[in-house]
Amino acid sequence: MKLGRTLADASVAVVILIILLGFIFPFVWVVLTSIRPDADLFTDTLRIIPQHVTFAKYQSLFGSEFLTYILNSILVATTSTIVTVVVAIFAAYSFSRFRFRGKGPLLGLFAFSQLFPFVVLLTPLFIFFFKLHLVNTYLGLIIAYTAISLPFCVYMLLGYFQSVPVSLDEAAVIDGCSTWRVVLRVVLPVAWPGIVATAVYVFIQSWNEYLFALTLMTDDSKKTVPVGLANFFGQYTTDWGSVMSASVIATVPTLIFFLFMQRQLVAGLAAGAVKQ
Amino acid sequence: MQRRRLSKHLMIRYGYIVPSLAVLLLFFFSPAAYNIWLSFQKISLFQLKRGGTFVGVDNFVSLFGSPEFWLSLWNTVFWLTLVTVALRMVLGLVLALLVDARGLKRWRLSGLARSMLLIPWVTPPVVAVAAWQWLLHPRFGAVNQILSGLHLTEQGIPFLVQTSTVWPAIVLILVWREVPFVAISVLAGLQSVPEELYESARVEGANSVQTLLRITLPLLRPVLTVVTLLITIWTFNNFLYVWLSTRGGPGNFTQVLATLMYTESFVKYELGYGAAVGVTMTLIMLVFSAVYLRSVFRQNMEF
Repeated sequence: MKLGRTLADASVAVVILIILLGFIFPFVWVVLTSIRPDADLFTDTLRIIPQHVTFAKYQSLFGSEFLTYILNSILVATTSTIVTVVVAIFAAYSFSRFRFRGKGPLLGLFAFSQLFPFVVLLTPLFIFFFKLHLVNTYLGLIIAYTAISLPFCVYMLLGYFQSVPVSLDEAAVIDGCSTWRVVLRVVLPVAWPGIVATAVYVFIQSWNEYLFALTLMTDDSKKTVPVGLANFFGQYTTDWGSVMSASVIATVPTLIFFLFMQRQLVAGLAAGAVKQ
Repeated sequence: MQRRRLSKHLMIRYGYIVPSLAVLLLFFFSPAAYNIWLSFQKISLFQLKRGGTFVGVDNFVSLFGSPEFWLSLWNTVFWLTLVTVALRMVLGLVLALLVDARGLKRWRLSGLARSMLLIPWVTPPVVAVAAWQWLLHPRFGAVNQILSGLHLTEQGIPFLVQTSTVWPAIVLILVWREVPFVAISVLAGLQSVPEELYESARVEGANSVQTLLRITLPLLRPVLTVVTLLITIWTFNNFLYVWLSTRGGPGNFTQVLATLMYTESFVKYELGYGAAVGVTMTLIMLVFSAVYLRSVFRQNMEF
């Protein structure tokens, strides 16, 4: 009986893992394609495991304008993340700790902008930025990304801040801390995992964004990774080996951050379990 | 003294919100308002410095009179949103239940399974489209090579080029990349289902289908409600999948509202007309959200 149970469990586990392996096959295929020489790429028969391995595509990518796109993306995504998270921390702290007139409608405004389709602001924002000479500037794209992510960030942080007991703040105030120091010394250290999760969310959002980067950054030297990558496979004679190597490079930051965040999530869950 | 202290506190309360509010008002709500104004103008991308001319509701009249608008609306509502949301909710639920299986927990494989589940979601959307463009390549793509290797087809199928396969192919790309979001939301919801409920169901002799229908799904309802609303809004406005897969083609066969808006504003340079498409999209989404939320609240009232 027990053996039967074990066997059943094991076979269920194996079947599920096989299904999941199929599910991630497209990504595995990207990686495998990126290390294949062209001669093995454009053949009429399928070989899953590459016979020859080469990193030539990666090498030539780092010698091309793609390196500029990477640097642009890092600059824009990092700055947007810092600006958005700092601005959102203040708003979320005030919403979580104070009662004041107009709080309900203000929170409603943030919630509403989450439901609002930001995409339709493409045309008016382009004209705004054109008049302000912000087209083809990093500042313009950073502003756009901050505006896109901010409402959701405020809500995310509000949730984390609300889980920090107010008694902690009160104790610090009695000890003579100013509001600013309460935030810095008490709330931030406790809500740290939440802040990291929020920052990762903004970074990935900005790193992946395509439409606003396409429209606001038309200068080749200002393009970001998604736009540069999409141009690669928009061409008639596509160099698929390069597209796949660029795809791997574009995925590396999100993959790293995701692994990082998964640990944070597990830590958060464990902390919650200990408290109970 | 008392008074100064009070005003200082008020300054902190509102002062902390001012930066966020400024960003929202300047770069969210004022462009939204300006978009409405733009939609009543005839303005070309080349005349930006000169400004446009007021044409009243002309843009909307010609928009609602164009077959391309109705085609885009249908494509957006049916293919892009309805089909993919339904598929994602069903597949997301199935994947979450699979990853939550006891067999995996027993062999400590749950973490590995969850990581695998999230891989498509970790790949940037542009990369997801690139991957599938390559997989679906008519001649060198793995899908066509597998099909011909199994002697199912004689010639490579140009999935993203011919009208009979193009929508299912776009749906496949979108669902593959976006289904993990539904799955992890459901997984999070499953963690909050108390173990005792499952145990008492087992004691009373309920089979797994009964447990799923009577315990798991009703308890997941709040999660499923929110996730459905969120992914519907995100997808209805999505530009990337259709644009990078087909640019709205062949012809305008796969045109959706977001790609129509972009094409009018930034390919044909008719900014006023593009703004009118945007305003129409906003109104549709606002009506949808209002109706959806109202029906959700009404259902909750019944309990």
